[in-house]
Amino acid sequence: MTPPPEPTRRPASVGGRLLALLLAPIGALLLAGVLIDYYSSVGPVGGAFDRSLGDVALVVAAYVRPGSVERGRSERPPEMVEALSGLDGIARRFALRDASGALIAGDAAVPPPPKGWTPAANRGLEFGDALLGGEPVRVVWYALDLDGRATSVAVAEPTRVRDRPTRALLTATLIVDILQLIAIPLLVVVGVRLGLKPLLALRDHMAARSARELEPLDSRSVPVEAHTLVDSLNALFGRVRAAAESQQKFVADAAHQMRTPLAGIQAQLELLEHDPQATALRERIHLVGEGIRRLGHTAHQLLTLARAESSATLARDFRRVDLPELIAEAVTMQLDRALAKGIDLGAEAAPVRVTGVGWLLRELINNLLDNALNYTPRGGFVTLRCGTRGPGAFLEVEDDGPGIAAMELPLVTARFHRSPASEGTGTGLGLAIVSDVADVHGAKLIIEAGAGGRGTRVRIEFLAALDPAA
Amino acid sequence: MRILIVEDDALVADGLKRGLAGAGFAVDQVGTAEQAETALAADEFDLAVVDIGLPQIDGLTLVRRLRRSGSSLPVLIITARDALADRVDALDLGADDYMVKPFELPEVAARCRALIRRTRSATSAQLTIGAVALDLSSRTVELDGHPLDVTRREWSILECLALDTGRVVRKERLLRAIAGWDEELTPNAVEVYVSRLRAKLGDAVAIRTVRGLGYRLDDPAA
Repeated sequence: MTPPPEPTRRPASVGGRLLALLLAPIGALLLAGVLIDYYSSVGPVGGAFDRSLGDVALVVAAYVRPGSVERGRSERPPEMVEALSGLDGIARRFALRDASGALIAGDAAVPPPPKGWTPAANRGLEFGDALLGGEPVRVVWYALDLDGRATSVAVAEPTRVRDRPTRALLTATLIVDILQLIAIPLLVVVGVRLGLKPLLALRDHMAARSARELEPLDSRSVPVEAHTLVDSLNALFGRVRAAAESQQKFVADAAHQMRTPLAGIQAQLELLEHDPQATALRERIHLVGEGIRRLGHTAHQLLTLARAESSATLARDFRRVDLPELIAEAVTMQLDRALAKGIDLGAEAAPVRVTGVGWLLRELINNLLDNALNYTPRGGFVTLRCGTRGPGAFLEVEDDGPGIAAMELPLVTARFHRSPASEGTGTGLGLAIVSDVADVHGAKLIIEAGAGGRGTRVRIEFLAALDPAA
Repeated sequence: MRILIVEDDALVADGLKRGLAGAGFAVDQVGTAEQAETALAADEFDLAVVDIGLPQIDGLTLVRRLRRSGSSLPVLIITARDALADRVDALDLGADDYMVKPFELPEVAARCRALIRRTRSATSAQLTIGAVALDLSSRTVELDGHPLDVTRREWSILECLALDTGRVVRKERLLRAIAGWDEELTPNAVEVYVSRLRAKLGDAVAIRTVRGLGYRLDDPAA
């Protein structure tokens, strides 16, 4: 049974976090602002209307005539009519009642004061909401001492009197609020983007850098907050570069210290082998000489591997390399060996160049050619090819030797792997070098059977090719 | 032909000295760049074999100084380092060839012979490969001491191959050597001229076809 896949959690982005942290509270604040604006503007407007409605009640109270009260009919002096009709032409209605609530004058539909009302507070005015003939009204009651009789004056004013000014005020406030609701999040988004720009630029710069670029980053172009990060990266780049350089120097020194005595011993043994005084020992000297040659070869292969690793990180080692030139060089070097073995060594080299480490590619092709010549029997052929294939260049060596068994293929690039079929002189490092060199160049290594399923074809596919005319 | 070996490692120096002497060269050996400069000032040499890793003044500096003083002495650099940069440095500084330790003595001797031959052809206009003698100034060939009749294009190809005896010369280069400004030649033309040359030269020297690349004039002394 396979365990259920772990839910993948996307790492939080700084931009996303900032937006979430800023937008949620800002949105809440804006909404609260809208509500506060609504209530703080509706309240004062209502108060102002209430006060003028109270004034109407006072005017009515002042002009209610005691005589008219007794006669049970309402006489309306012009001041009172004017106060009741208002400037807007919307009629207010009034009612004068005695303490028991019986109508003395005015409109019976106007509601009586609430029960238990005592005209103590609010200048003796009391306000309330009611329906009059199905229309919502604001009512004010005023306690009036009329010739020793306790009465109450009520004035009802349709609330539509207040609608238009309130609406105008609210509309203005809401427009401002809505503009804020839209503008502030936009400003936050733009601000966060702009604020993060130096960081994003740093990210893009890092993404565009090749792994071999170990030059320090310019910390002046990044925000102060990222300085520590950039400084740490620069320190790391420095250490990697120093390590690669010190490894190259070590390998160069080691090469010198190993190769010079090997060269001396090899030369001396060669001379000794042909020295007439040593005729009796010739065979043994030859064997020692072969051993020294193998040792020299192994030392060279090991040094190549060690240098390949450090080259991968050193941009200065990468130059323009002409592949047909490389092939011609390799063939020149090995032609006599091929002729001695009766192998038809040739090339099919189309003009192509790559960006690469010249000496590493030379080692790669020499190792491939060396293997091919080792395994191909007398009368066979070895062909080196280069050219373009799709967007990239390729380099390949094909032979019609015994080939590599399918089950052995995954093993052949391991260091010190030796084919059971090999004759015993190889170091087991050849294809490991080829594989490492391909890696250094970001190239693909393909090992397969040659044409018609015979022999071996090893191909290096580069990601790109340089214009041969460039 | 006299060779100066500049090498400080006793074992290598002795091996080179004996090996080159055995190949028929007159050989002197010194261990430092200063000694080399003294020796070169005092005597005539045909070639210097110089190790890069010399004490105090290194081999590359020696070559640079030599060239600055106007010497055209051919120099074969020998080094234990094999970096591409070394190689470029050595050739840029005026070395003529380059070998990496450890080496095979016959290979060193062959490179020395080739270098001396090339330098001599530049100064004396004479180039000899086995039984074939080329006169580069009069553009004539002698086979076993008898003049050999070759066309202008056959001559160009033979000259190209002879100047790089023992090395593969790419077909494109031979084509450029025979193609004038006003004519288009196919690579097949090279094959035609090479086969005619082969017929004329007989068994004296071998022009070997290297499939897909070009030709090599075999060095009979190698």
